[in-house]
Amino acid sequence: MTIGRDEVLHAARLAEIAVNEAELETLVAQVGRIVAYVEQLGEVTDDADASGFVAGPGEVRLREDEVRPAALLHPVADMAPEFSQGLFLVPRRGVMEEE
Amino acid sequence: MSAADSAREAAAALERCDALGLNATLHWSAELLDAQAAAVDRRAAAGEVLPLAGVPVAIKDNIVTADAPTTCASRILEGYTSPYEATAVTRLRDAGALIAAKTNLDEFAMGSSTEHSAFGRVQHPLDAARVPGGSSGGSAALVAAGAVPAALGSETGGSVRQPASFCGVVGVKPGYGRVSRYGLVAFGSSLDCVSVFGRTVEDAGRVLRAISGPDPLDSTSLAAPPITPGPAPADLRGVRIGLPREYFPADLDPAIRTALDRVAGAVRALGGTVEDVSLPHTRYAVPTYYIIAPAEASANLARFDGVRYGLRRIGPEGDVRSLYRATRGEGFGPEVRRRVLVGTYVLSAGYYDAYYRKAQRVRSLIAHDFAEVFASGVDLLLTPTTPTTAFRAGERTEDPVAMYLADIFVSAVNLAGLPAISIPAGRSAGLPIGAQLIAPAMGDERMIEVAAALERMVSAVAEVR
Repeated sequence: MTIGRDEVLHAARLAEIAVNEAELETLVAQVGRIVAYVEQLGEVTDDADASGFVAGPGEVRLREDEVRPAALLHPVADMAPEFSQGLFLVPRRGVMEEE
Repeated sequence: MSAADSAREAAAALERCDALGLNATLHWSAELLDAQAAAVDRRAAAGEVLPLAGVPVAIKDNIVTADAPTTCASRILEGYTSPYEATAVTRLRDAGALIAAKTNLDEFAMGSSTEHSAFGRVQHPLDAARVPGGSSGGSAALVAAGAVPAALGSETGGSVRQPASFCGVVGVKPGYGRVSRYGLVAFGSSLDCVSVFGRTVEDAGRVLRAISGPDPLDSTSLAAPPITPGPAPADLRGVRIGLPREYFPADLDPAIRTALDRVAGAVRALGGTVEDVSLPHTRYAVPTYYIIAPAEASANLARFDGVRYGLRRIGPEGDVRSLYRATRGEGFGPEVRRRVLVGTYVLSAGYYDAYYRKAQRVRSLIAHDFAEVFASGVDLLLTPTTPTTAFRAGERTEDPVAMYLADIFVSAVNLAGLPAISIPAGRSAGLPIGAQLIAPAMGDERMIEVAAALERMVSAVAEVR
């Protein structure tokens, strides 16, 4: 798969990352180089039924689904760019794009 | 020595490192060290048994602490201080250790040279023109410079063993799940491990013992006791060491080959046996890693959006999406943006099967290779940690794939979730060479014990050709 401007801009939109025109050419070349490199996995013959491997315990232990107090050493209001009356403040939502 | 004396010594050593321009620390203060030391001395005076009383330990700045900022070397987290502490940090404090400094790293642990930090690159302690490796380069440099006897780093694809090799110190990656990930800022959750640097195998083992063990706050931590290595065995009779031929390619640096021959000779001299083995899917480890890790990163880093903490920028449209895009576009550095874009691309509609699902299958094959070799009776694998010694700063920053290949001998271990250790095994042109031991799952203790035995036999500083 050849990576061009359209693919990089599409990924950037999905990832919610602003990319400016000045850096786009370099980004296209570098992302393209990485994707071309990882495509060598296509030469591996593997069992179509092979499942993905995940390290760690065979079964993830889930906690009880209950509300517990968070032991925070300082309030979230101290960390938030804008916080008021228990809410994180953001600008207006704007028009959602169809993607 | 009291903890107060230890704190004063650590502060003086950190000042020297900063004055030398290593750029290994991001946050530390003599006042914080003194306050911690006073508390430790009070606990010791009250009769509390503290296995790491007064031992200064540096912490990679992607492991959260509540009394100092955590930036992950990223502009997007500049000024952020966590409201809670990582389990590994809490356990170090419980054991009496002093949190000496937060250390510089590649942004969000993405890199192999610690050149991708928003706060400048870390210098190699032996040659300022070279890199210390990465991504835990600040922790490695501080241990190598003698500022602290041990430090925490993190591994997703070799980020402790590789800089340990470059800097001539010990680096231990425990098996996945043996140390809690709670409070380690997530990069690739199926790969991430809090890991340890030490001046010696024993130093690293003591720290690992303190921080390991199950944690209810991390649902992927294993229900296994803490890693408790015994003393170095007097001999290695009955121990079978495998040399995977894929880790010794024809074009391997001759000095590194010679250094590994010396380690294999030490195994034989101690009564162990050495044999050739094969891990046939080794060459696919780096490309597999560079699909899985960016894919997981693209999901994990979605939380940095300018809403709840950290940097906030609002773009020209003035709405919430322009807030996300401007914050992330400006807050993330070039390597993080590259990886998030690659991760997003390989997970996107139409490409998921060809890239991500395929990589998961190859990951299974890589893990199976290791399992087969260990099932054949081999106890540990011996390999070079890196294909070269520390390279020059700037040498690989323009070509991301050239940078990724610095991890060619370390990333398979993370994909398989296994324990591994790098120990110094000599020097070439004055630069350290590392030897890696890889163990089967739950083989952390034996691996560390064998490494301690080899450490006694193999000079860390002898020049090899």
